[in-house]
Amino acid sequence: MKKMTLHLRIWRQKDANTPGKLVSYTLNDVTPEMSFLEMLDVLNEHLVAKGEEPVEFDNDCREGICGMCSLVINGIPHGPEHATATCQLHMRHFKDGDTITIEPFRAKPFPVVKDLVVDRSAFDRILAAGGYISVNAGSAPDANSIPIPKEVADEAMDAAACIGCGACVAACPNASASLFVSAKISQLALLPQGQPERKRRALRMIEQMDREGFGDCSNHAECEAVCPKEISIAHIARMRREYMKAMLC
Amino acid sequence: MKLDSKLPSGPLHEKWDRHKADLKLVNPANKRKHTIIVVGTGLAGASAGATLAELGYNVKSFCIQDSPRRAHSIAAQGGINAAKNYQNDGDSIWRLFYDTIKGGDYRSREANVYRLAQLSVQIIDQAVAQGVPFAREYGGLLANRSFGGAQVSRTFYARGQTGQQLLLGAYSSLLRQVDLGRVTLFSRREMLDLVVINGKARGIIVRNLVTGEIERHVADAVVLATGGYGNVYFLSTNAKNSNATAAWRCYKRGAAFANPCFTQIHPTCIPRAGHYQSKLTLMSESLRNDGRVWVPKKKGDKRHPNEIPEDERDYYLERRYPAFGNLVPRDVASRAAKAVCDEGRGVGEFGQAVYLDFADAIRRLGIDVIRDRYGNLFDMYERITGENPYEVPMRIYPAVHYTMGGLWVDYNLMSTIPGLFVLGEANFSDHGANRLGASALMQGLADGYFVIPYTIGDYIAGTELEVVSTDADAFKEAEDGVKQQIDKLLSIKGKKSVLEFHRQLGEIMWDYVGMSRNAEGLKHAIKEIRKLREEFWQNVYIPGDSRNLNKDLEFAGRVADFLELGELMAIDALHRNESCGGHFREEYQTPDGEALRDDKNFAYVAAWEYKGDGKEPELHKEPLEFEYVKPTTRSYK
Amino acid sequence: MPSFMTTVKSSVGKKFLMAITGLAMIIFLIEHLTGNFLLLQSDPVPYNKYAHFLLSFGWLLIVAELILVAFLVIHMISGISVFLKKRQARPVGYHVQGNAGGPSKKTFASTTMIYTGIIIFVFLAIHLKTFKFGPYYETTIDGVVMRDLYKLVSEVFRDPLYVGGYVVAMILLGFHLRHGFWSAFQSLGLYHPRYMPIIYGLGILIAIMLAVGFLGIPIWIYVREVVLKGAI
Ligand SMILES: Cc1cc2nc3c(=O)[nH]c(=O)nc-3n(C[C@H](O)[C@H](O)[C@H](O)COP(=O)(O)OP(=O)(O)OC[C@H]3O[C@@H](n4cnc5c(N)ncnc54)[C@H](O)[C@@H]3O)c2cc1C
Ligand code: HEM
Ligand code: SF4
Ligand code: FES
Repeated sequence: MKKMTLHLRIWRQKDANTPGKLVSYTLNDVTPEMSFLEMLDVLNEHLVAKGEEPVEFDNDCREGICGMCSLVINGIPHGPEHATATCQLHMRHFKDGDTITIEPFRAKPFPVVKDLVVDRSAFDRILAAGGYISVNAGSAPDANSIPIPKEVADEAMDAAACIGCGACVAACPNASASLFVSAKISQLALLPQGQPERKRRALRMIEQMDREGFGDCSNHAECEAVCPKEISIAHIARMRREYMKAMLC
Repeated sequence: MKLDSKLPSGPLHEKWDRHKADLKLVNPANKRKHTIIVVGTGLAGASAGATLAELGYNVKSFCIQDSPRRAHSIAAQGGINAAKNYQNDGDSIWRLFYDTIKGGDYRSREANVYRLAQLSVQIIDQAVAQGVPFAREYGGLLANRSFGGAQVSRTFYARGQTGQQLLLGAYSSLLRQVDLGRVTLFSRREMLDLVVINGKARGIIVRNLVTGEIERHVADAVVLATGGYGNVYFLSTNAKNSNATAAWRCYKRGAAFANPCFTQIHPTCIPRAGHYQSKLTLMSESLRNDGRVWVPKKKGDKRHPNEIPEDERDYYLERRYPAFGNLVPRDVASRAAKAVCDEGRGVGEFGQAVYLDFADAIRRLGIDVIRDRYGNLFDMYERITGENPYEVPMRIYPAVHYTMGGLWVDYNLMSTIPGLFVLGEANFSDHGANRLGASALMQGLADGYFVIPYTIGDYIAGTELEVVSTDADAFKEAEDGVKQQIDKLLSIKGKKSVLEFHRQLGEIMWDYVGMSRNAEGLKHAIKEIRKLREEFWQNVYIPGDSRNLNKDLEFAGRVADFLELGELMAIDALHRNESCGGHFREEYQTPDGEALRDDKNFAYVAAWEYKGDGKEPELHKEPLEFEYVKPTTRSYK
Repeated sequence: MPSFMTTVKSSVGKKFLMAITGLAMIIFLIEHLTGNFLLLQSDPVPYNKYAHFLLSFGWLLIVAELILVAFLVIHMISGISVFLKKRQARPVGYHVQGNAGGPSKKTFASTTMIYTGIIIFVFLAIHLKTFKFGPYYETTIDGVVMRDLYKLVSEVFRDPLYVGGYVVAMILLGFHLRHGFWSAFQSLGLYHPRYMPIIYGLGILIAIMLAVGFLGIPIWIYVREVVLKGAI
């Protein structure tokens, strides 16, 4: 099996209150079939064998769907491959001898917990401010009583595909959460079920987003480019329409 | 311990309604005086947490991940079953019930399964009302597909992300209750013990995974929805954080563990690529609708698949099961793949894979149709393996996917510890010895939205709940136990990493308690696991300390529990002298290699009671009675 | 229901205002440039008549000018606010900067809006001081006494330094609008997958046209007043 040597520069930080720094490591036994996270597993095994503390990084499903993995790889959240979360990135996209810099997602509302792990609970709070349809279990009408045109359902699904990873924030030069927030507002605004709470939802979610301390959106669209689910900034436009309509009408 | 399943009387289709009528209610004004702990935020936990809060209870919701939305349910791809019969193709509650009982190889309760089929209908209504964007037809109505070899189209789906969409729906309802102040979220917390006071579950001990603090939480009832234990095999399709710890510690507090040996191995996963492999990725079952499974006829044939001529290929599923061919159920397909690989005819670097070939389908239907049907899956395959499945046959191999076993619960979903309710994959309830595709999501949501809200009220209304606080001795004792274990783990300072132990355990489990088992192998496994466990407690090395995020420490606790659970699984597998569903004992097969069930001696639920460390667990049997369906032998020939 | 001020200060409302004011200023610039093309003629009369015509609107013109100034101020305040908030939102930056490519519209222009904006402001201040509030020459056309702006302009643009500064400022304006134009549509929520590429392209076109137009005039005048006259 082909082996590659990689030079890693990884952000190490003990906890939220201790300053961190980039630390260099060299790995000699990387194979192209490995996933990026498996490469880090291997690094950690070496570190543990030497009695050093392993690098902490969030991950769970390793299938690109839970949104737990993060990492800014050479300046790009989730790394160089399009529509691919870090856990689905494979080492065959790197070359023998490459230097890879790995940093945590950076934004004030995403404080570093340790090493590459950040706290993204701001997203939960934004969704709690209105990212739902108020329907108690048991009170729903028959599922087919509201026909929804396929195109509308598909578009809502495009938005709903967001995995809440926060790469959009990490990539945004302004650390704006607009893509994430708009994906939910847009999904629910498209669907007939979302109509009753439409205004309130847009107003409250955006208010919460601002309160969390995310930046404003300057339309760089870098978010769309790093989004593992390719969520379009068209949803940001819809979010803005929703908000202004809610305000003005 | 006495197992009282509390199955209601009356005709099958009236049992649940009658039972509901008999359940006691909690006065609405009193509900807010009761606190319920819900551990887990997967489909089962999120739906339960939201619904209980809607009723007015105070809910404390716990999960390991940084957000409830990331629970492992998010990864379910294929879909969710419901007996809506929107397609007018002959589906009904009865048929879904029947298929599930039969699919489970007659090792589940009729009453539970019938209730599940009844509730399936409401789940879809609820999900749609929440804004779950299920696939639709051009007319705007919901689309269905047939899944996992079912004869009717009853599976609802949202692209390949059904679990994600259903979970986001449940999570949004949960967050709505957070907004209303009735749910408090405790993310990045791991439950490490159950607190039992006066014989009733009254709280939990959790570790704050960020600060390392050990916290006590008190409640009137504890709902466990912590998922399955497939990760005992190290490599599985489960998420990395999926674990058995919460369930296992409840087991040690007196909750019976039922049918631990019933595990499901999914036939279509991407095979292992190397020693470093950290998990296995599932490829949707739907691929078998058009793909043909084969291996070379010759042993050790290392030729490129496209160079192997037609007459040197063995389409073994089509050969052995002419009626169902490539669409045989999961357990059958998995075992057949293992059999050909054991013969030395496996492909890929390690000889641990078979081909799933789309060349015929592409010739027949055209590449565009195939791309339309499976484009996403093909892309995913290519992303992981770097091979293009439009040109080279996919390599697939079975992988551990789901655990039918779990904590024993009665019809009310209450374990043998009063006040401890168990939902979703963590319980053993509805799938018998084998789960049908698209039924786990259905069960988790049925439990959370529509069962627990009724049954927990009955418990609370009918139980005298003393006032207890976190100062109670039981809390202190449990907290001390947890702390001692953590200190002990950290103080061993041995030579071997947690990961290495987990890997080794996985190998033992896969080799001897995996797809096919035999008495000798199981005995060997029990010995090996005990040895490994002993070594673990002497030689594990955990870096860092406990006052901080420390994943090695978290995993150490989980692996320690897997090392005990693995043994119980082997014990259970050894005692069950029959083959049924996911449990295949080599000694019990027909001459042509099919599973041989023994209804006379084994038509029961095996519930194991913990008797103390180092002591044999005690077996309790809950007999299964089949009033409405007569057990028959499954045949797919 | 949030108050008007909350909306204006919200991330969405702020950008809505920026977009409206920005687009309004672009419309003004187009009008301004079209009129100024009269400067390309060596005959001062048409230009001076045009300027006089504008002035003849009296208080209406003043109102329009005040609106423009107000727009500029609103635009600037919001722009500075976006900039300050962005710095707060990411106190610790990245060691390695990347650009993901693909659908990304992050460009040199988009990341320098605040700087190009501030330079445009400095330019505007000088521009107004030089011309609007500059020396007052008089001329009489068709018996009407009016300001001889043509003369002033011709004088000012004899200075190569001034022309150079003008050219640089206009190039930066071009960059500002290259991102600003399409961005304004997006800020107003006007996105459509079919039309967005057109608007994006149009933005580049408008940026180039306005920049080249505005920097062409001083260069032309310099050539006319210095190079050609010197040559004779
Ligand atoms: C790849 C894959 C695809 C699947 N596809 C399908 C499908 O198409 N259809 C279908 O019906 N089923 C499918 N399944 C099965 C189904 O997804 C699961 O059985 C189901 O989602 C389990 O849900 P749950 O709520 O019981 O548990 P989970 O979703 O596993 O949630 C467990 C929760 O418990 C928490 N937790 C665990 N331990 C602790 C602890 N100690 N302390 C605190 N919190 C804890 C976790 O944080 C998490 O929130 C699939 C499974 C896999 C692996
Ligand atoms: C002739 C004058 C100007 C014109 C025509 C103009 C035009 C525009 C337009 C159309 C936009 C896009 C708005 C949007 O994204 O919604 C914009 C953005 C911007 N303008 Fe101007 N502008 C001018 C002057 C200025 C000045 C003087 C400043 C000084 C601070 C400035 C600062 C900015 C900034 C910072 C942005 C980016 C906003 C963001 O990142 O979201 N502009 N401009
Ligand atoms: S919009 Fe995309 S990048 Fe942002 S959180 Fe959702 S999936 Fe991640
Ligand atoms: S680990 Fe789940 S998305 Fe990457």
